[in-house]
Amino acid sequence: MLRKLLKHEFRATARIMGPLYLVLLITALGANLTTRGLLATRYRLLDLVGVLLVMAFFIAIVGVCVMSMVVMVRRFYQNLLRDEGYLMMTLPVSIHQQVWSKLIVSAVWFAATFLAVMLAFCVMALDVSIVEGFAQAARTILQEITAYYALNGAALMGELLLLAFFGCCAMCLHFYAALAVGHSFSNHKMAWSVLWYFVFSFASQFLFGALMLLMDELPLLNWVGGLVAGWSAMAQTHLLMVLMIAGCVVYGAVFYVVTVWFLKRHLDLE
Amino acid sequence: MKWEFSNDAPIYAQLITQIKVGIVSGVFPPGERLPSVRDLATEAGVNPNTMQRALTELERDGLVYSQRTAGRFVTEDAAMIEAVKRSLAEGHIRAFLDAMGRLGYQREEILSLLRQEESKEETIHASLGM
Amino acid sequence: MPVLECKGLTKRYGSVQALSNVDLTVEPGRIVGLLGPNGSGKTTFIKLANGLLTPSAGTLTVCGVQPGKESRAAVSYLPERTAIPTWMSAQQLLDFYGDFYQDFRRDAAEEMLEHLGIQPRQRIKQMSKGTREKVQLIMVMSRAAKLYLLDEPIGGVDPATRDYILSTIIGNYDPEASVIISTHLISDVEKVLDEVIFIDRGQVVLQSSVDEIREEKGMSVDALFREVFRC
Repeated sequence: MLRKLLKHEFRATARIMGPLYLVLLITALGANLTTRGLLATRYRLLDLVGVLLVMAFFIAIVGVCVMSMVVMVRRFYQNLLRDEGYLMMTLPVSIHQQVWSKLIVSAVWFAATFLAVMLAFCVMALDVSIVEGFAQAARTILQEITAYYALNGAALMGELLLLAFFGCCAMCLHFYAALAVGHSFSNHKMAWSVLWYFVFSFASQFLFGALMLLMDELPLLNWVGGLVAGWSAMAQTHLLMVLMIAGCVVYGAVFYVVTVWFLKRHLDLE
Repeated sequence: MKWEFSNDAPIYAQLITQIKVGIVSGVFPPGERLPSVRDLATEAGVNPNTMQRALTELERDGLVYSQRTAGRFVTEDAAMIEAVKRSLAEGHIRAFLDAMGRLGYQREEILSLLRQEESKEETIHASLGM
Repeated sequence: MPVLECKGLTKRYGSVQALSNVDLTVEPGRIVGLLGPNGSGKTTFIKLANGLLTPSAGTLTVCGVQPGKESRAAVSYLPERTAIPTWMSAQQLLDFYGDFYQDFRRDAAEEMLEHLGIQPRQRIKQMSKGTREKVQLIMVMSRAAKLYLLDEPIGGVDPATRDYILSTIIGNYDPEASVIISTHLISDVEKVLDEVIFIDRGQVVLQSSVDEIREEKGMSVDALFREVFRC
């Protein structure tokens, strides 16, 4: 059943995301014209057009990123907690499957948005020496960092991407949990949701701060510090990254449990 | 066939009467197969169980009979249909007499009123050249 | 086995008692009217029966199991409001129901849609309110479910649509399945029902068959309702 939920979830979201990516691609082509030399002519009008095209491109990038967030929150809200909820929440599927289908589809769209933006940059710079220069510079920087800190640049990059991905998923679940709790109230559901979003944010920051203090107080940190002191800088960095990813997973898991509990036990559709 | 229901009697009883009228008036001819319970219920806009109950009662009275696979049929017994027609007519007459009685008419007056009505109709027919 | 059974069913919203101590049994093959004034607890009952709400006390089972993933495969639910996604076309909606419900009779649904003159490519968004309600009802009645829960199926539609909806319900009658219709428009549904349940301020005040009421009280269910709920 999860497969079928995913299928229909993609159907519902693709009709919004597809055209957005198309717009992004078109503005990237426009910006490509600029990079090809619109700015280098003697005509003021072409200069202006060139600047506008680049602006349109950056607006499109921001737009696509913002929209993938908005779609993620809106789908959960519209599809499960509003009128459509009467249909979705009475399907012969479990709440877990419902939440996972929303989460997986959102995550895929975040990844797709990342790839689309990368692709758009390539299109913009297609056949232009800028991209070569950029790639050259990036490579040099990476090499220098790697050499300086004795890090494995590629692995670090992978970890950063993974962290970003899990971070996005955790953020999704943060929104889901706030919506699920807010909509268990019989009135002012949206206001409660917003409030709960901030309550969760505050609570997680508070807990994180408390944890930091605790680590400082307890001998734990010293013990860990002593343990890894002999490690290379690279190993230490990897450990930090892994810990941060694990933190994201735990952060998301807590919100997952909250979301499922409230959808299961305290659902109260209008 | 037009189905109409009043508010004071059980629906199954009203269904029985209306199916009887249908049989007597030839909407459901003798020996013909009746529509299925579902179709009759849909047509009359009533609950299928209620329609089933009405048909079962008619079957018990012998006015319809069922053949295991082919469905339900109207009886071919003309005398029985005639008797039903008679009893329906008697019902109408009793109701008519009751209503006239409530208006204060005596039997003789009612009969003369009926005769007057009859001659009125004859005049109308004659003037139309029928 | 009864299609629906509840014992001591109670639902509270904060301090408000929406349903209190309801005992009910619905046998297969029955079309049952859940009748009561607005706010009497009809919708709460139906939401409990399909697991959109959790009881505060008491038990409720559908085909022997508590409302959940399993029971939902056997329950076909018509909500009070239009819940079908409006961006979908009729075709996509058929796909949706076909994917999630194994008992969905796609050919029956297609036939009914065609009868209404609805094109497969037509989007729900482009349909009138009445047509949307009919489409939603067609989807619900095209399932070969064990229990149909219809929440106010004839509220807010014109008399012709009302007739269409009622004849669709009769036309899809299945002696193995039960139908529960919640409504306050009694005179319209009375002839379609086997049984009625009167519900008032969260409590069942009467459960009886329609013809029993007419036979014993010499009045229609509508008239009895007006008497019981006189203001």
